[in-house]
Amino acid sequence: MRFLDWAVVVAYLIYVIWDGIRMTKHSGDVEGYFLANRSLPWWAVGLSVMATQLSAITLVGTTGQAYSDGMRFIQFYYGLPLAMVILCITAVPFFYRAKVYTAYEYLEKRFDAKTRSLTSFFFLISRGLGVGVVIAAPSVILSIVLGWDEVTTIFVMGLSTTFYTMVGGVQAVTWTDVKQMVVIFFGLSVVLIIILSNFPAEVSVGDGLHLAGATGRLTTIDTSFDLKERYTIWSGLIGALFLFLSYFGCDQSQVQRFLTAKSVSEGRTSLLMSAFLKIPMQFLILFIGVMVFVFYQFQTPPMIFNEVEATKAATSRPADYQNLQMQYEAAHASREQAALNFVSVNRQANEAATEAAKQSYLQADAQFNAARKNATEFIKTTNNDKSFNDVNYVFPTFVIANMPAGVIGLIIAAIFAAAMSSISAELNSLATATIIDFYRRHFKPEATDTHYVFAGRVATFFWGIFACIVAMYSTSLGSLIEVVNTFGSFFYGSLLGVFILAIAIPRARSRGAFFGLLFGILSVWISSRYLDIAFLWFNVVGCLATVIAGYLISLTVREDNNAIVE
Amino acid sequence: MHTEKINEDERAEELPDEWWYRVYLGVIITTIIVILCLGAFSRYFTS
Repeated sequence: MRFLDWAVVVAYLIYVIWDGIRMTKHSGDVEGYFLANRSLPWWAVGLSVMATQLSAITLVGTTGQAYSDGMRFIQFYYGLPLAMVILCITAVPFFYRAKVYTAYEYLEKRFDAKTRSLTSFFFLISRGLGVGVVIAAPSVILSIVLGWDEVTTIFVMGLSTTFYTMVGGVQAVTWTDVKQMVVIFFGLSVVLIIILSNFPAEVSVGDGLHLAGATGRLTTIDTSFDLKERYTIWSGLIGALFLFLSYFGCDQSQVQRFLTAKSVSEGRTSLLMSAFLKIPMQFLILFIGVMVFVFYQFQTPPMIFNEVEATKAATSRPADYQNLQMQYEAAHASREQAALNFVSVNRQANEAATEAAKQSYLQADAQFNAARKNATEFIKTTNNDKSFNDVNYVFPTFVIANMPAGVIGLIIAAIFAAAMSSISAELNSLATATIIDFYRRHFKPEATDTHYVFAGRVATFFWGIFACIVAMYSTSLGSLIEVVNTFGSFFYGSLLGVFILAIAIPRARSRGAFFGLLFGILSVWISSRYLDIAFLWFNVVGCLATVIAGYLISLTVREDNNAIVE
Repeated sequence: MHTEKINEDERAEELPDEWWYRVYLGVIITTIIVILCLGAFSRYFTS
């Protein structure tokens, strides 16, 4: 990082904090602070919806995944447009016209206070821990790439976001999200152009795509129906559909986005903006990862992208490490030759020769992958870290090593932007649920707007500090991240089930919803222990178990009890 | 009077359901086309 890079990062941070703080004047009353007086245009809400979902770990993780595994991950988003259409028909008008602040508030209108409090409580637990992970994951990577202390990175990212979210409320969240999306896409576009312009003179973009395609990295549709396989068209269209319905329709961090829109129509348009743009956006991010792969066909990539772990292992067993490094470089040189040969032969339109060159290239690629796998295993055993994986370090390490001054700063700013846009929306929604669903509902129902806005700021500050502390611990306790993610997947499907009971099943009653939710979570937990299925399917299990159990339990309640509230 | 005026303004902002159903159909058709294009893109460069 040179002076220009630091200047870009510091300028970004100062601008975002200033931009957030200047929204204070629009946040004087409860509706202004939590819902922006329902006044925001669809495009700002739509960008905020996308920015909230695009966390830093999604940005650096999916580029790294595309580098090592290809574009299969894009299938995860195939169910998203359908989910958005369903939500536009159901959740958006229901929540908007019910004039609620939180999604869970609607459950009290439909069922009772107990169901509202239980769902909101689960949201606070899962999202409160989740935002810690959202801070921790990029902090670990950035601290290694930038040479910063981990705790410093966590607090720079966490507290600066907490500060402007606390002061400016949802207005600050939304308008900074808009600018952060601009920073992210400007940065990614610049990187893509630089990568493409750095291919060897004899290799075109089309040649690069043929190389990536030969290794299977351009696979975007896998039609095999395997419940253990994480990314297939079926897990995307069915499993992820349930996940997106729950995330965008029942998670306060997303529901609050469309509740700030000017009208139901603007709220719908904001979600449909995601429906149109999410797949192309994810394609761009994955495409950059694939282009990094092509770039490294002609430049030697680091044997291990996590420099700290590589240095640790190299210091511990220098001779072995050196030996692996030599094998790795030899394998890369062979692959480079094979790649150039494949590119050259492929242009001559001789099918047999092309196939032979392709097989030769694939063989060289397999040898290269074996050399890298040996190095990874070496790190695992030498550093005594069985879960070692450096996929998330690919993109930041590539940027630091290959981008010119200024662009490195721009990408670091983009990673900060991706993290901060998610963190701010999540802190804001946590504060909203805390104040509206618990403090105002159970402890202080009658108070002035000034009091609730002040309480909202205190709650935002509390959740910001809580998230930073969780982030500090989760960097050293790998299993905590797993627990948080697993808990999230346990909860999402079941939460969706409760809202389906509320909106689509008139016979559903509060007892059914309450115990149906608990039964759904229990069902997912049992499935996770005894069934070997990919996590996306937990959403389907949780949702169906909650709806079926909730409906059956409701049948045991007298029909006139807990009638539907229109 | 004031409330009625607000309600009228709110209704004026909302687009009719028939219009939205055409939009939803457009989203679904576009998604199918995008997925098919991605599949064709993969096949072209993989073969």
